[in-house]
Amino acid sequence: MGRKADRTGWKKRQSRALIFLSGMMIFCGCGLWLNGCGSRTEGEGRLEAGTESVQDGVEQENMLRAVDFDHELDDYEPLKKEYNFYFTYKMVHPWWDAVALGIEDAAGQYEEQGVTIHYEYLAPEIVSAQDQILRLEDASRRDFDVIGVDVADVDMVTPAINRLIEAGQKVMTFSSSDADRENGCHRIAYVGNTHNYEDGAELTEALCGKLGYSGKVALLIGSRGAPCHEDRALGARDVIAKYMNMEIVETVYDEDSVDKAYEYTREILGRHPDLSGIICCNMSNPVGAARAVIEAGREDEIVIVGMDHDQEALQYLRDGIIYALGVQDCYSIGFDTVQTAVRIADGQLPGEAYPEKTEESTTIIYQGGAATMLRILYGEID
Amino acid sequence: MDQLKRENTTIKKEQRLRTVAYAVWGGLAIAAVLLLTTVWVSGSAGTGTDQAVNKVSEFYLEELAGRRAQVISEELKNYFVCMERALEILEDEDLESQETLRRFLRKMKTLYGVAKFAMVDENDIVYTEHSTVSGLSRYHFLAGELTEPVISTVNLYGAKKQVLFAVPVEHVVFQGVRIKACFLEVNIAEMMSSLTLQTSDRTYYNLYYRNGESLTEENFGYLTAGNNLLTALRDAEMETESDYEKLTGDFLDGRSGQISFTYQGMKEDLCYIPVEGTNWMLTILIRDNVISGQISSISAGMIRRGIIQIFITVVSMLVVFLILIHQSRKNAMALLEQEKANGNRIRAAYAQIERERTAMENIQAAMGSGLWSMEFNEQAKLISCTWSEVFRKMLGYESEEDFPNRLESWSDLLHKDDREQVIKEYWDTVKDYSGEKTYNVEYRLLTKHAGWRWFHAAGRLSRRGDGSPITFVGLFVDIDDEKKLEEQLEKQKVDLEDALAAAQHANRAKTTFLNNMSHDIRTPMNAIIGFTSLAAAHMDNREQVQAYLSKIATSSNHLLSLINDVLDMSRIESGKVKIEEKETSLPEIMHDLRTIVQADITSRQLEFYIDTADVVNEHILCDRLRLNQVFLNLLSNAMKFTKPGGIVGVRILQKGNAVNGYASYEFQIKDTGIGMSQEFLEHVFEPFERERTSTVSGIQGTGLGMAITKNIVDMMDGTISVASEVGKGTTFTVALRFRICSGPVEQAVIPQLQGLRALVVDDDFNTCSSVTKMLSTIGMRPDWTTSGKEAVLRVQLAGEQEDEYAAYIIDWLMPDMNGLEVVRRIRSIVGDEKLIIILTAYDWSDIEEEAREAGVTAFCSKPIFLSELRKVLESPFTDEPEEDIVPEDHACFEGKRILLVEDNELNQEITVEILQEAGFVIEVADDGAVAVEKMSQADPGRYELILMDIQMPLMNGYEATRRIRAMDDPEIAGIPIIAMTANAFEEDRQEALEAGMNGHIAKPIDVPKLLELLRELLR
Repeated sequence: MGRKADRTGWKKRQSRALIFLSGMMIFCGCGLWLNGCGSRTEGEGRLEAGTESVQDGVEQENMLRAVDFDHELDDYEPLKKEYNFYFTYKMVHPWWDAVALGIEDAAGQYEEQGVTIHYEYLAPEIVSAQDQILRLEDASRRDFDVIGVDVADVDMVTPAINRLIEAGQKVMTFSSSDADRENGCHRIAYVGNTHNYEDGAELTEALCGKLGYSGKVALLIGSRGAPCHEDRALGARDVIAKYMNMEIVETVYDEDSVDKAYEYTREILGRHPDLSGIICCNMSNPVGAARAVIEAGREDEIVIVGMDHDQEALQYLRDGIIYALGVQDCYSIGFDTVQTAVRIADGQLPGEAYPEKTEESTTIIYQGGAATMLRILYGEID
Repeated sequence: MDQLKRENTTIKKEQRLRTVAYAVWGGLAIAAVLLLTTVWVSGSAGTGTDQAVNKVSEFYLEELAGRRAQVISEELKNYFVCMERALEILEDEDLESQETLRRFLRKMKTLYGVAKFAMVDENDIVYTEHSTVSGLSRYHFLAGELTEPVISTVNLYGAKKQVLFAVPVEHVVFQGVRIKACFLEVNIAEMMSSLTLQTSDRTYYNLYYRNGESLTEENFGYLTAGNNLLTALRDAEMETESDYEKLTGDFLDGRSGQISFTYQGMKEDLCYIPVEGTNWMLTILIRDNVISGQISSISAGMIRRGIIQIFITVVSMLVVFLILIHQSRKNAMALLEQEKANGNRIRAAYAQIERERTAMENIQAAMGSGLWSMEFNEQAKLISCTWSEVFRKMLGYESEEDFPNRLESWSDLLHKDDREQVIKEYWDTVKDYSGEKTYNVEYRLLTKHAGWRWFHAAGRLSRRGDGSPITFVGLFVDIDDEKKLEEQLEKQKVDLEDALAAAQHANRAKTTFLNNMSHDIRTPMNAIIGFTSLAAAHMDNREQVQAYLSKIATSSNHLLSLINDVLDMSRIESGKVKIEEKETSLPEIMHDLRTIVQADITSRQLEFYIDTADVVNEHILCDRLRLNQVFLNLLSNAMKFTKPGGIVGVRILQKGNAVNGYASYEFQIKDTGIGMSQEFLEHVFEPFERERTSTVSGIQGTGLGMAITKNIVDMMDGTISVASEVGKGTTFTVALRFRICSGPVEQAVIPQLQGLRALVVDDDFNTCSSVTKMLSTIGMRPDWTTSGKEAVLRVQLAGEQEDEYAAYIIDWLMPDMNGLEVVRRIRSIVGDEKLIIILTAYDWSDIEEEAREAGVTAFCSKPIFLSELRKVLESPFTDEPEEDIVPEDHACFEGKRILLVEDNELNQEITVEILQEAGFVIEVADDGAVAVEKMSQADPGRYELILMDIQMPLMNGYEATRRIRAMDDPEIAGIPIIAMTANAFEEDRQEALEAGMNGHIAKPIDVPKLLELLRELLR
């Protein structure tokens, strides 16, 4: 009996201890669990990245379409595993660096498919048709599948291209200037801007509208004989000729040089205090013209229109110094040049496989689109 | 007793229960103590943590930023180290060609995992793994001289953000141009990712320039990608008012710092620190609530896991203890059983091995083959190797000391041609875990006493369950005798086949040759005989007879050339032709060559040019006659196989690879003719080979011209090669090396002309290019054009620019404007003082007067060499008196008496007729003996000269000459004697001169040549 009582007491002590321990554990555990659960931090569930408000949807879309970086190779399957191309262009200049990026990306995409594209992409520091002919002759003595040329002077370079073609070389033209079959050139195909005349005309039309179809303007062309510059200038002249109260008072060739464009503009501004517009036909001269106009303090009087996507020119457009710029899709020019060269190297002739002239776009942009274009091209935001 | 037992049982049960109870209570007590301690410690830690949150977060951010910035800095330095290492391993062979350089750059790009690895030469040409591009405008660091490592960003067109690392490079030259820099490009996003700097839930990393512009395309908290940090934070609510100024100041000066602010409703901590060696700032953004929340969460988690751990530990300890005891007993039993079984298996295996070994030794002894065996561990590594005594003896070794049990003992003796294949076969067999492969090879081994011998080895492997090798056992048999017999048979077979093929080919070629010769000889013979008959039948019609005679002459000349070729080939093959080197002028050879072929070129209505490139040594020692023969053979072919309107050309290039005292040249003879098939090109230099027989092609020839040419070039230690395409044309390239006999043509600038402009006008681009280079060499600034009209425009433009040309080099005949007309127009612009040179491939004597009137200062013949151009350009500045022109001495032959020594009546008749026409008086002697007799009786001065045949019946010409020369009267003994003989070879000419004769004329007689020689000797 005594032992039974002992056992009962033992069991009771056991039960109490267990209850105590359990209680403690539950208490501590709950507290800890609660602590551990915590509360949600502020701001969770919010959109992390801000979005840029787009004021003008249409213009924004134009900007995004102006230079198309999202290229993929088409489904053509090259016949060879390795190609060797030679490209020569007018002069060392950032415009052709943009073309080079397209070439580089296309070569990179071919490499992912197991096709290696070797290439040379070379130019002189100043435009020279003679230098270009020597480069072509030199390239013809080496083992290239296709030779590409951005024609510096149609009259001088066309015979050299024809000589190469007669000697069995495959020659194409690309980027800014063609020497086409209508003018006796036997090159196989062209990839690039095919509407320089229209670009010049459209920019000039915009300038005339801005000036109320009245005023004196200067025309900065670029390199003498360069088809793209001359064609744009022709387009500009034809538009000005339509309006009785418009007049071209000066025409100069600045050799695609910012410094020369600046110097010439300074002189023109000095000679024509009543000048109201400047039409620029290449990538360098809108920058030179804008610098001279700012220096003269006449940015409110003079309307400048010009070509291409120079970063400084785009900043002038954003700041209202330049009125309009025609931006060419250089990247696509480079990319499509490589695709076309591969087909030419494979022995295909223009026709169904690819066009004899691959036309690349030009987009006229104004102040509203400048910031977007700067961001697209240079990652720059106000 | 039972009662006692029951009590004892009860007591034991109670003791067991009490023991269990103590164990349970003890365990619970320990658990309770651990629990309370954990709760107390965690509680204290939580309180402390809360108090230290701010300090910790500051420290954490500072530490984090510092470490990250250091990581970036180290990474940047690493890229420079990569480039240094790459330049260290750059070897000369990597710079041999564009291909080797590209291969090197590709290796470096792959090795260092960068977006681009490139080199830049001093012309700012950038070389990458696949491309060669002009880089000046794209890579801004190239604008100035690179003197130290540079980090910059590439033109960000397209927002493809790349960071560029460049270092200057010294002492590296690629294709003659100095490499000035090496650089690599890294994608910033990839670099950030590789440094684990990518943004997570609430911690943001970014790199900014010191002006606040972002380097990356990442969002930074609420800041959108591409926003300027400093501009954006202008709108933030700073914890301290001066924080914004501090931030901008720190950024500007490159200082590290930390600020707190509220942006778009969120309190955030921003830490920034400059990255060493750059103008970048590394920024880290952490949200304030994240730090405290995370630390509280960590603390609570620690306590929670502590309690669970206590329970699990106690229970696990008990369970593990019981399992361990139980398992150890089971294992001990199992091991005992296993050992017993293994013992039995090992004994059985040893017995089996012993039986197999004995059997194998019996087989080896029977076959005379050597056994070898190898053991491998589980990683397929060789652990032992055993060569049997028989194996050793087969190789000539006696003991293990001589030939140790190592794999290398055998592999070192393998023949170098077999080694790679045998070793590969060996390891392929070992590593074939499927066990299907059998090692079965034949190879040569170097034996100790018997040199190289062929052996056959075969073996197989025993393998473990996973396929890994255990033992590799094989046999080795000497098959040298069989192998040599096999090789001998094979060689005999090949020799027989070659001999058969050669005999068949030679037979075919000779049959073809005979057929061709039969045709080619019969054709002109037919003409000669036919037209002779016709002439005889129309003797009264003078014009018709003249036409027939002209055709007979043409056919005769062709027949003669056929005979010459055949004989020439025969003499070359018999080694009679020797190369005689004499001082020769390359320009003279080329001008003569043009003169010789010009008539043919004109009659065939072909376009012809000769141009030069980089020729600096113009005077050489060579066999002019044979060199001419090479050119004429090649040109003759080019002209024959090129249709009217086509182009035939010769280009001379001097190569820069000759040793001192020598000059290397490459002569390219090109045409745009019918070309040759690839099959024929392989046989073009073989004798009697013609792609189409003359009966088919209508073009006559012996098929020996090219073989003769090749033999001459070989004798001159040169090479000749040919490239041709059917329908497009042919280019023969002859590479020859000559000793030079004067220094290089003077390369120095002409001081009076240095820096002055010159204009080259020629419708041939190659001439323009060649002359332009020469003008650059003498220091002028040349321009060129292929149009006469454009030349006139350029002259006008130069005048307007006040930078006139000082010299004009103008082609005489150009399609758009005649050269003289161009000269007239240029003179009308520039006046009379400038130097105008007419360049022409033709004889200019007919137009010289007109040209001088038009304003031409001087003439130059094509092809033009640097020395000639130099001489003409220097002439206005030198005072050398003009050389007196000695009028040509036209010897008058009238009445001069010649003794003709000739035994053949027909030849006598022909020669007498020819010489009498020229005014000579002829006396004839029928034999050498008669001639000696006549001379011994003649008065001195009776004869002016003797024409001496060589082969005559009584006394030959050599003997007769010697006797005449030995006569007493010096005037008679010194009479000029000319050998006139059908012995037409060079050695015949030499022999005649050695016999004392003064000249040599070959039959059939070339009349102008004979008269020229007579004129010379009688002058």
